[in-house]
Order: sequence, then C-alpha cells, then structure tokens
Amino acid sequence: MSSNQTLNIRNKEFALIGMLLILVAGLAAFFPNLGANSNGDVDWISIPLVGFPILTSAIMLAFASQESRKRKQLIAGPIRLATLAFSLIPLGISTALFFDWLIAVNWEVGYNEYALESQYVWIETIGASWHVGMDGLSFPMVWLTTFLIPVTIVTTWNEKNGATYHPLLLMMGGALIGVFVSLDLFMFYIFWELTLIPMFFLILKWGGTDRRYAAQKFFIYTFTASVIMLLGLITLYFLQPEGNGTYYGSITGRTFDMSKLFSNALAYNLGDGVFLGMDMQKLLFVLLMIGFLVKLPAVPFHTWLPDAHVQAPTGGSMLLAGVMLKMGAYGMLRIPIAIFPDALMYYQDWIMAIGLISLVWGAVVCLGQTNLKRMVAYSSVSHMGVILLGIASMQPLGYAAALFMMFAHGIISPMLFAVCGAFKHHYHSMEIGDMRGMAKFSPYLAVYMMFSWMASLGLPLLAGFVAELMLLLAYWPVYGWWILFPGAVIAITGAYYLWSMQRTIFEGGEHGQPPKSLHGEVPPDITLPENIGMIILAIFTVIFGIFPFIILGMMDQWTVELFEGVFNRGGI
Amino acid sequence: MQTVAPFSYDFWVAMAPETVLLIGLVAIFIIPNLGNSKMRIPLTNVRIPWFLGGRRFRLTGAAHIPGLIATATLFTAFFIATWGQFNGEFTEVLVKSGEVTLMKIDGFARIFEIIFLGAILLAAMASLDRVPATTYEETDELDEMYNNRRQVDLYILMLTTAIGMSMVALAQDLFVLFVGLELASLATYVLVAFHKESKSGSEGGVKYFIVGSVASAVGLYGLSLLYLWSGSLQLDVLASHWATNGDEVLPILALGLVLVGFGFKVSAAPFHFAAPDAYAGANSPVAGILATASKGMGMIGLVRILVVVASPGESAESAIWLAAMATLALVTMTWGNIAALGSKNPKRMLAYSSVAHAGYMLAALTAVGAWKWGHIDAPADFATVIIGAVIFHIAVLVVFKLGAFLVLGILEMEGGASRLSALSGLARRDPLIATSMFIFMLSLAGVPPLAGFISKFLILAGIINTSVGDLWLSGGVVSLSDLHWVWWLAFAMLINSAISIFYYLRIGVVMFLEVPEEGRRKPLPYGLSIRMSIWICVVATVLLGLSGDFLIELCYNAAEGLF
Repeated sequence: MSSNQTLNIRNKEFALIGMLLILVAGLAAFFPNLGANSNGDVDWISIPLVGFPILTSAIMLAFASQESRKRKQLIAGPIRLATLAFSLIPLGISTALFFDWLIAVNWEVGYNEYALESQYVWIETIGASWHVGMDGLSFPMVWLTTFLIPVTIVTTWNEKNGATYHPLLLMMGGALIGVFVSLDLFMFYIFWELTLIPMFFLILKWGGTDRRYAAQKFFIYTFTASVIMLLGLITLYFLQPEGNGTYYGSITGRTFDMSKLFSNALAYNLGDGVFLGMDMQKLLFVLLMIGFLVKLPAVPFHTWLPDAHVQAPTGGSMLLAGVMLKMGAYGMLRIPIAIFPDALMYYQDWIMAIGLISLVWGAVVCLGQTNLKRMVAYSSVSHMGVILLGIASMQPLGYAAALFMMFAHGIISPMLFAVCGAFKHHYHSMEIGDMRGMAKFSPYLAVYMMFSWMASLGLPLLAGFVAELMLLLAYWPVYGWWILFPGAVIAITGAYYLWSMQRTIFEGGEHGQPPKSLHGEVPPDITLPENIGMIILAIFTVIFGIFPFIILGMMDQWTVELFEGVFNRGGI
Repeated sequence: MQTVAPFSYDFWVAMAPETVLLIGLVAIFIIPNLGNSKMRIPLTNVRIPWFLGGRRFRLTGAAHIPGLIATATLFTAFFIATWGQFNGEFTEVLVKSGEVTLMKIDGFARIFEIIFLGAILLAAMASLDRVPATTYEETDELDEMYNNRRQVDLYILMLTTAIGMSMVALAQDLFVLFVGLELASLATYVLVAFHKESKSGSEGGVKYFIVGSVASAVGLYGLSLLYLWSGSLQLDVLASHWATNGDEVLPILALGLVLVGFGFKVSAAPFHFAAPDAYAGANSPVAGILATASKGMGMIGLVRILVVVASPGESAESAIWLAAMATLALVTMTWGNIAALGSKNPKRMLAYSSVAHAGYMLAALTAVGAWKWGHIDAPADFATVIIGAVIFHIAVLVVFKLGAFLVLGILEMEGGASRLSALSGLARRDPLIATSMFIFMLSLAGVPPLAGFISKFLILAGIINTSVGDLWLSGGVVSLSDLHWVWWLAFAMLINSAISIFYYLRIGVVMFLEVPEEGRRKPLPYGLSIRMSIWICVVATVLLGLSGDFLIELCYNAAEGLF
C-alpha cells in the first residue's frame, strides 16, 4: 500500500513538472513578443479569450485526472466552481469589448477589416502566423461561445465526475473561440481539429450506452472531412502568388494569412477576373465545402450528428449543437465563399438543393422519431439547411438570415438539449411516449420545454422567427415558387414539435399516475442549476427576438461589403 | 570546407560524436571486466586471461554499469552533434583518401546523426529499467536474463548500431554507406532476437535476419552492377555519369535492385513482411529503434540513390523512377493502413503504421522525381521543401513513435503487451501514461497541434508544391489538368490518414473506456528512466507541434546542402 502511495505522489510530481515545462516553453516559443502588438495595444484576444480557457482547463485536467476516485469526488466541487469562475472571465471580456468598456472598438468594420487585430510570427519557415481579430461575422460567434460555456457549466452542474467534466467543457470552449478568432489558415485548421478532442472525450466518458460507437464515428467522420479540406487549403496556399514580407514563409514564399489571401483573391476577382481560373476554383471550392458541409452537417453527410447527439452528455450536446455546428457555417462564409465567388455562383443551385434537402429531410425524419433527443438532433440538421439556403440565395438579406440563424440557433438549441438532458436525468428515458403527462409532475420543465420548442419552430418575438422570416424574404426573389418547400417545412416543423409536446406534456395516461419510466416514483422537478441555466437561455432568446438588430447591425457592414466587393453586386 | 585524411588527428576531431561512441564502446568492453583475471569477449562465452588478476570489482561489475556508460556515451555524442549544429560554429568536412571522397560531414549528415543518436539514446535510457522480455514477477529469471553479461551485450549492440547509422549518414561513397548499413543491420538483427528465451523474440529475429540479408544481398548486387557500369561508387561520379547516360539498361536494373535493399530498410511494401514479426518479437525500445532510426537509415539510402544519383537530367521531364516509386508509395501506405486496421497486437499495429508512414515518405520522394516537369525555374526549391519535410518527419517520428513503443515497454515490464487488452483501462491505472499514449497516437494520426501533424503537413505541402509548380505565375488562370498527377498522391495520403485514424483511436478508446483485464488491476511498475524517456517524448511531441520552427529550418538547411 505504501509503495502505491509513493507511486501516486511521484506521478503527480511528474504531471506538474511536465505541464509546467510545456506551458513555460510553449508560451515562450509562442509569444516571444506578446506585449509588442504592432500598435502597442493590449491583445484582448490571444490570451484572455483563447489561451486562458485552454491552459487553465488543461492544468485542472492534468491534476484532477491524477486523483483517486474518492478524491475526485471531493475535489469536484472546488474544480467546478473554479471552472465556472474561469469561464466567466472570457464572457466578461467579450461583453466588455462589445460595450466598449475596456477600449473603444469599432465593430462596424467592413469586409477584410478586423477589429482588435494582432499578429505574431509563429512558424516562420512556412509563413504561418498567430493572427487573431474579429469582425461582424466572428464576434457574434465568439460572444455566443463565451456565453454558452458558463451557461452549460451551470446547467450540467450535477454531472458525475465533475472534476474532469467541467474543465473539458471549458477547454472545448477555448478551442471553439480559437476557430472563430483565427485569421490564419494554419491556425484555423489547428483549432478546427482541436475541438474534436474534448468532444471525443465528452462523448466517450460521459455518453450513453452506445458511446463507444458514437464517439469514434464522430471523430472519424469529421476528421476525414477536414483532411480533405486540408488538401484544398494547402493547394490554395501554393497557388497564391509568391510574396515577401514578415508573414511570408522563408522557404515557401507563401503565407497562410487570411487577410492577405482575401485581398489577393479580391484583386484577381475584380471585374471579369477569376482567381485561379474556373476549373481550379471549382475543385478547391468543393474540397473546402466538403469539410464544412460535414461539420454543418448537410444531408448526405449528416449521419454522425444524431448518433453523437443521442450519446453525448447534456453539456456536450449543448456545445455541439450550439457552437460546433456553426463552425461549418462560419468556415463556409469565411473562406470559400469569399475567395471563390465564381465557383459559388456556379454551384449556387447545388447548394440550394443541398440546403433544401437538409431542410426537408431533417424535418420529415423528425416526424418519425420516438427518441426526443434524436428528434431535436434532426431538427438541428433541418435548421442548418436554412443557413445553406441563405448562402445560396446570394442576397445580402439571405446572408444576414444565415448569420442570424447561426446566432439564434446557437441560443435556442442548447436550451432544447438542456430540456432533453433534464428528461434524461429525472425521467431516465428519452422515449417520447414514456413521459406522458409530465406537466403535472414537473411544471417548470414543461414550461421550459414549451418555450424552447416554440422558439425553435419560429414563434414571433423569439430569436428563431427573425431568421426564418428574413430567409423567406430573401428566398422569394431568387427562387420564386420554390419557396413552397421552406414554407411547407415550417409547417412540418410546427407539426413535429407540437405533436411531440402533446405526447409529452399533456396527454396523461391514467389520472394522476406518474409516467411509466419512473416505475411508480414521484418525479422531481428540475433542479436549481438547470433552472438557472434554462432561464438565462430563455431570457436571451427573447432579447434577441425583440432586438435582433444588436447582432444584425454588427453583421450588416460585413455583408454589404462582401456583396459590393466580392460579388460585384449592389447592397440592400 | 576542410579536407582531412582518414584516421588523422583532424579526422577524429571532426568526427567527434563517432569518436565518443568508439571510446564508449571500448569502455563497455573493458570496465565490467576490471579486476577479473579473465576478460570476456562480448557476445560470446569465451574468456581470455589478461594481465590483471583476481575477482571483479563490485562497483564496476554491477549490472547497471554498462547501461549507464552507454547512456552517458550516447548523450555526450548527441550533445556534441547538436551543439555543433545549433551554435553555428560548424564547418563542412570532407574525408578524403587520395582522390576518393569517403565521407562528408555536412548539415544533412549531422541532422541524421542527431536523429539516430537521439533515438538510440532514448531507447538506451528506457532500457536502464531492464525491460524484460517475459515477466517482471519472476525475479530469479529476471536476474538471470539481466545479469551483467546480457547488459554488456545489449549496450554494445546499441552503440554499434549508432556507429553504423552515423556512418550511413556521413557516407559519400555507396560502399561506405553499405558497410555502415550492414554494421547497423547486423547489430539490430541480434537486438531483435535478444530475448532468445521467448519464442516470438527468436522467431522475429530469425525472420528479420533472413529477409534482411536477402534484401542486402540483392542491394549489394545492384551496387556491383552500378560499379560495373561506372567504375566507381562515388556519389558525385555516379551522378555525373547518370546525367549523361542514365538511360541505359544496366543502371536502371541496378537502381531497381538497390531499391529493394533500401526498401526493406524503410519497410516499404512488399518488402515489409518481416517487420511486424520483428517488431512484435523485439523488446519495445529496440522495436522503437527499428521503427525510427533504422527507417531513417533506409531513407538516407533512398535519398542518396534516387535524388542525388538518379536525379532527372537536364532534358528529362521527370525522373525515370517516377511511376515505379509512385506505385510503391501508394501500395505501401495503403497496405500498411489496411493491415493495421486488422491487427489486434499493438506492437504489430505500430509496425504496420510505420509501414504506412514509410509510404508517406516514399510519396514525398516520388514528388521529388517530378521536379523537372515542364522545366520550371529554380527546381531545387521544390526538392528542398520535400526533402526537408522528409527529414523533419523522420526527426519527429523518433519522438512519438518511439514514445508509443516505450509506453508498451512499461506494459511489458508487468508481462507482455502483445494484446490490445493489455492496454485496457490504462487511463484508470495510470492517467499520465495513458494520456501520453493517446497523444502519441493522435500525433501518429496527424491531429494538430502535435508534431505528427506538422510533419505530415510539410510532406503534403512539399508534394502539392511540386504538383502546383509555377502555375501561380500564370496570372491566376489554372485548369485542373495543369496540376501534375503527383497531386493525387497527396490525396491518397489524406485518404490514408483518414483510414488510419480508426486504429489509432481504437487504442484511445480501449485505454479510456474499458476496464483493466484480470491481473492488471495494480498500478503500473514505476521505472524512473523509462518514464523520463516517455516524458521527454511527450513534451517534445507537443512542443515541436506548437513551435517546431527551429527544427524545420534545420531540416531545410540540411536538405539545401544536398543539392
């Protein structure tokens, strides 16, 4: 016994030494000149929003994973509190940045201009730099991520093995923010892949009975798609003109810097020019879009999503649906569409078709689901189709709809999954029929369910409605009577949501009998943390439903300039 | 550039790492015998009387002394080689005997010396904990296996491997290269079969020896044909000969035969059949050497023969071996990955994964052969990018592939790591080691931000760079058919990475999800030095992934010196 104890202590020391070594050396190598931002400003993105969550969660994970099972339960409370505190810091910073409390930030930046930009040389030989910045496209996503991490942590406050669970959520959040703020293709790809690892562990360790299959499928499916995307990125990298400068590779003579790439492409695309020629544009566009469509996911590539969602723990699902799916849409808007406008025009109808199929397919499949979480997962597929339709419409309004859908779905879908998680915890079942008449026993849960279901199907005054209305407005002038399909889907959406609600909340079995799945126990209503998490989400759903221009105003300039500059079409 | 004669004083100074290795080798010969009236000839049971009489000294005769000497020697050599590279006080040295250039100490040779010495240093360090072949429990047997005699033999073989590999790195003459290759190979054959008590050890050793010696014989026959054709085995002589009349039958035949010899060393399919058996039978650190340093040695041979000697001539569109190598690369990576999918033994799985990695490197080399297509200006740039990427890949492979083998080495200390279930529940028994293993696996699969991603990325970049060529000059109008077809090799490589993620993830799933098997509930045996080695590997894997710039630059500079 004593030898075992000494062994554990030694291991911990190794963990400590190793982690510190990695941290110190890595930081020193990464940011040799962190203070020396070219303008002399404080870099509010690199460390506070990206580095801080990842590093703190890595340290907590390294220490917590060393403990015995008993000790883990003991330290779960403090670690949970610490994680919440750490996650509130990025939220505070991003909110403060929005309200100009820290420094005056001009958020009305146009296309290929970025607020709070900072750039450091990273891998000089190949021209990869650590380049961060935010614009109207990325800031809403960054804020959404920083907002969702603490909300998710609170909602899943009582998850088992909290000592490692909550730091993983924080790490996931840090990686997601990294995707949204990176303005360098290399850095973008690194964060893009980094998000897989915490999610893989969240599904593998805290998932349902079939978690092994779901975790592997999730990882392999998205990894495969992103290596195909990588092929496109590298080919694009070598096809861009050679140049000289600080951020150009000393060996390759190219740069991964997105802003330079965008301005190069823009210069070529002006007038009748086609950057790289039509053939190459089509090839690269398809390669990149495969990576993004799988992540979105669009219908032929969506099969990983229901499995991952059904097996994932509540917190994992909330972040997966809330932010991770938006990575696909964000990447699409950020890279291929801006660089390959001609390929986009060529494939416009294809994207419309994929979007429409996703929309219809997702909704129809929802009708047949008996598992509540699976139904919600398919509804996500359906909603992501809306984003594709917005992109395919090639209208500023359609883009605004897509952008707003990303944001609105990012707030509504975590609430849907929080409700599903609450069912899982308190009713030990996900089958829709098993919870008949639950409103009598869990009135709060019933209210939240009703609210989130209504928000998701697009009730006016809630965030989801704004996006759908804008989409229909943009869709009509381009595709005319095809509008019947999205219109019909809204009806189907209403059908499956209302039907599932009717089978869950209202339709009691025998009078006063608790649902079957509980075997006679009286079900508890949702716990306080769940209550807090859901009420916050509900409040923000209403806020952004009534004041959508908070987000829309920010995205406006970007969209308009994208259309003027890239597509050579007039703004609204 | 400085020219020295062999075995002169300057020669020993210029070859400081090898000199240190030789001194260490002699020290291991002598020191354990100090005080004894008879001296044992290593690797045998023959004892010859020497002048000192009496019993062995207790201190110098202790079982751990040879390992310490070897580790110290390797560390010194490694330090000298690294120091010379990094502080910039490094001059190229030619070793000339008359008109014949035997060796050349340049950036290319030095970086490979660093790789080889580093790999063997890590393996020697990990072996200090006396990783046994069979069990850790039966201490009697263990003592028997790891008495001083066996220890001496193990480290002598390791140092010999190091010397042979260094020779390969330095050689400017194919004959010198071959001698070094055989020196290292013979030592590794014995190392593989070192645990003669275990069935799989001797089986693997014998298979490896037979297949290896056949491959060497074929390669040697190729060399003799080359000699017949050009009258010299000097690299520069051969290269200039090739440029003028390389399209004759004889050199092409010779090239094919030599490829077989080196193809075995890098375990390219279809010459890889002995590799999984050898890796599975060998001690884990030794298998780690085979998978990293030994492979690098073969790569040097391929680079020398394909890129330096048989490079495409001025008028040629592409190298003559382009299609053959592309096929070889494609077959190797696909075969390796498919076979790894089905293997239940983690060591065999790692062996097949190293076949797949050989395929990636071969694909990169293939792209070099395409570098004169369309007669692009400044072709050396393309070749430099690719060769630099290959060198970087071999360098970082040492870190994570060897690291993965060392983790299996810890498991061997408590009784075998030949089944996947040996890894099950490792995360509960030892979270740190399990996390390290998972990091190694992700790095092997090429998941960012680890070293394996950067290296795979650079290889891809090299291939794509070549396939794109100077299309970017054409003012932005590019059609798909303008891309050279080696672009599809990059595509194949990515599809293969996607396949490979499956079996790498499986290790992670087994470690993190399943419960430990019966008899493996206790914490892992401790083993300070093996854990130190693993930790070095983990930190290096992460750091080289995040900021490997200095190493990349070093590799590119080394590759530049080649042309």
